[in-house]
Amino acid sequence: MAGTLRSRLPSLEQTVINGSQLLGVGGFFIALLIFFSFRATHFAESSNVLNILSNVAVVGVVALGQAFVLISGGFDLSVSGTVPLGGIIYVTACNDHYNMYVAGGLAILAGIGVGLANGLIITQIKINPLITTLATLSIIGGLAFVVSNGITITLNNPNQAPLGLNFAGVQIAVWLLLALSIGMFLILRYTVFGRMLYAMGGNREAARLAGLRVDVVTTTVYMISGGLSCFAGVMLANQLLAGAPTVESAANLQSITAVIVGGASLTGGTGGIPGTLLGALVLGTVANGMTLMQVPTFYQEIATGAILLLAVGLGWVRGLVQHAVWKHSREDQIAQAAIAGVVEDVSPDLNPTGGG
Amino acid sequence: MTHPARAGLVVPLRLEARSLNKRYGAQVALRAVDFELAPGEAVAVVGENGAGKSTFSKILAGAIRPDSGELRLDGQLLELRSPREALRAGISYIPQELAYVPNLNVADSLLIGRWPNRLGFTTRAAVRKEAARVADEFGVELDVRRPVSDLRLAERQLAEILKALARRSKVIVLDEPTASLTKEETLNLFRVLRGLCRAGVGVIFISHRLDEVFEIADRIVVLRNGAAVADVPTAETTTAQLIEHMLGVAIVRAERDVQAETAEPSSTQLPTLRVIGYSRPGLPDIRNLNFELRRGEVLGLFGHRGSGADVVADGLGGRIGDFEGRIECGGKEFAPFKNPGEAKRAGIGYVPPERKRDGLVLGMSIDANISLLVLERVSHAGVINRHTEQRQATEWRNRLAIRSKSVKQSVESLSGGNQQKVMLASRLEVHPIVLVLNDPTRGVDVGARAEIHKYLKEEATERGTAVLWITTDAEEAVIVSDRLLVMRDGEIVGELRSAAKTQANALALATEEVASTAVAG
Repeated sequence: MAGTLRSRLPSLEQTVINGSQLLGVGGFFIALLIFFSFRATHFAESSNVLNILSNVAVVGVVALGQAFVLISGGFDLSVSGTVPLGGIIYVTACNDHYNMYVAGGLAILAGIGVGLANGLIITQIKINPLITTLATLSIIGGLAFVVSNGITITLNNPNQAPLGLNFAGVQIAVWLLLALSIGMFLILRYTVFGRMLYAMGGNREAARLAGLRVDVVTTTVYMISGGLSCFAGVMLANQLLAGAPTVESAANLQSITAVIVGGASLTGGTGGIPGTLLGALVLGTVANGMTLMQVPTFYQEIATGAILLLAVGLGWVRGLVQHAVWKHSREDQIAQAAIAGVVEDVSPDLNPTGGG
Repeated sequence: MTHPARAGLVVPLRLEARSLNKRYGAQVALRAVDFELAPGEAVAVVGENGAGKSTFSKILAGAIRPDSGELRLDGQLLELRSPREALRAGISYIPQELAYVPNLNVADSLLIGRWPNRLGFTTRAAVRKEAARVADEFGVELDVRRPVSDLRLAERQLAEILKALARRSKVIVLDEPTASLTKEETLNLFRVLRGLCRAGVGVIFISHRLDEVFEIADRIVVLRNGAAVADVPTAETTTAQLIEHMLGVAIVRAERDVQAETAEPSSTQLPTLRVIGYSRPGLPDIRNLNFELRRGEVLGLFGHRGSGADVVADGLGGRIGDFEGRIECGGKEFAPFKNPGEAKRAGIGYVPPERKRDGLVLGMSIDANISLLVLERVSHAGVINRHTEQRQATEWRNRLAIRSKSVKQSVESLSGGNQQKVMLASRLEVHPIVLVLNDPTRGVDVGARAEIHKYLKEEATERGTAVLWITTDAEEAVIVSDRLLVMRDGEIVGELRSAAKTQANALALATEEVASTAVAG
């Protein structure tokens, strides 16, 4: 019957629209790999591939938390403070002869604490997430300097850095990123909590009216982001055998870029873990390839910015496609709304649209 | 008072519309509407929901273009392609919801874009002086130094009218301006409007409230199903006649005598929902509401915008707080709800009026939206059972005839009526004891509307759900309800049952203060 055939079409339509971003980024990633394989010496060697992966591991873990925050309609700039803080706490605790698991636990707890503070300020005092996390970024960044006296603290006992070691030829930090990604992917896709994030990011008031505890979920999301960032800091300390207040100062922009490149929107409700990982890989590959081509670091920053714009531009194109697909049904709705007299205000809307 | 234009004097018309037509697809919004407005005249346009008032005013405002017909201002043919052109021609439209630049003060916003200047430089003093002069000229008392964001709605409205005057508008169209005003603010607005008429400005006043129409208008135009069915001088008509015109049926006088209808308790069982001493300060003040609702009953709550009926709905849905009183639901007693979760746990399913803004997550699929309120039921240990979710959505899709290609389709891609059904399904899936509907068929086409009516009646009779149906549409209120409460200015002014439950009675109660004594339940 034609009916059964037609009933399959929409999901196809939907898949094409949703998948276009991933396909686009995937294609871009492959193009990058091909380009650098030819132009950058040693790029395609296995040792360099492993190098890229271990570099991506830290930002990748931060980006996983950032993905949760962005999907739920928030924003976490403070990760650039929590990453070094996590590393410093870990190294300081280890040097004070704490067990490394205890040291790691302390670091993660500190990150969760930062997230709790972010969440409470955002939900209870109702300050915009951008401003809140900008302020906590400054505070936590300063705190990292205070704790470390502004200097790099080296890890006295290199045995306390197992995450920098290899397992089956690949660094343990990379395995951890993979494991965390799978876990987060399953949470987003299959659990009530994941569904709540998409609902809140898609329409916060509808989620609230549906009886979801949006404040609790929002706070939890920032706690996850804080905890993961500090854990990323621990991973970095394991790789560097040291903790310093100045590391990963661009973690916030890089993680946000990774999530957006992976198909999320700044207004929330969209995005996912595979895209985020792909986004992080794109950024890591560009940085690595350009370093091998001996391009100065500031050009890398220019490239990162260009990639972000490109990703947002792709999102815009995707929006146009959706609009074209659904234009017809929208026109119907507008016509009906007009008859019922609920057409929007005709006076020029001078209200600046709320940011964030 | 007879206006000079009507008294045989030859006064050129300020605004003239000839056979305006507008249709949306198969639906006719306006058919061959003629309209005249003399300088200094105040004309009210009244009609039921969907009669074409909004379309008419939006054509004047330049927001909608008519399919055919012509518009003349001071004898000159107008071709309005945008609100901007209407403004430039001299027609100011003042909508219900006012947009404004929050950080400007009244003087700045009044003269926005036309600040008095010398070579592009302007001073606060010069702006303030000019603004104060405009305010003075029309007898509007408003401190022009105050920031617009600090103004109350009534003051913002006055500021908006002043803005129109500063532009030297010839015609001012006000769309239900008094819906959210207090009595005093309304009187003040009328005083200003009369001043405008004396200055030769034409005023078009779109309203639901017939008592106010009688107070302000020289002439009343009634729209029904898109056609102008009456055009009468105010002095020569009555509320009853207007309601007859609006509904297209004659009122049977005897129906007004409702006291004969004694309240007969339909069963001995306890009410499912009892609302006791429900009050809340606001606009309007909700004052000491008491009503009850039985199993399987559809109780209508009808009131025009600003009557407070929607506030009651929001309160019972836990969307807004600050209520006093008690609520008994399903045999348990509750303090007024402070958040939506409390209302949901008490067994109330709340359907908000604006599905896109408040009811649905548009980017999510149909099945995800339907399970949004029952996530704990479609999941086990926090993991959603997608199979259960899809089966549940498919059942609703069949039961409510939701026209979609699959339940995985995003809600955004559905038509308004089908979106509404998805929202209803999400609320019904909770199996509420009481379903509170706040204008559930707003912006929904006729077909889907009838389906929704039919389904909700079934829900009440077959499942025994008690339904509280809040609406601004008198026709709908009468059709769907078993019993109908009418609200006005924050109070329940009457209860209509069986034979007395007519549109005419409902409208009379909602619009006319005197009626409340005659038909009090």
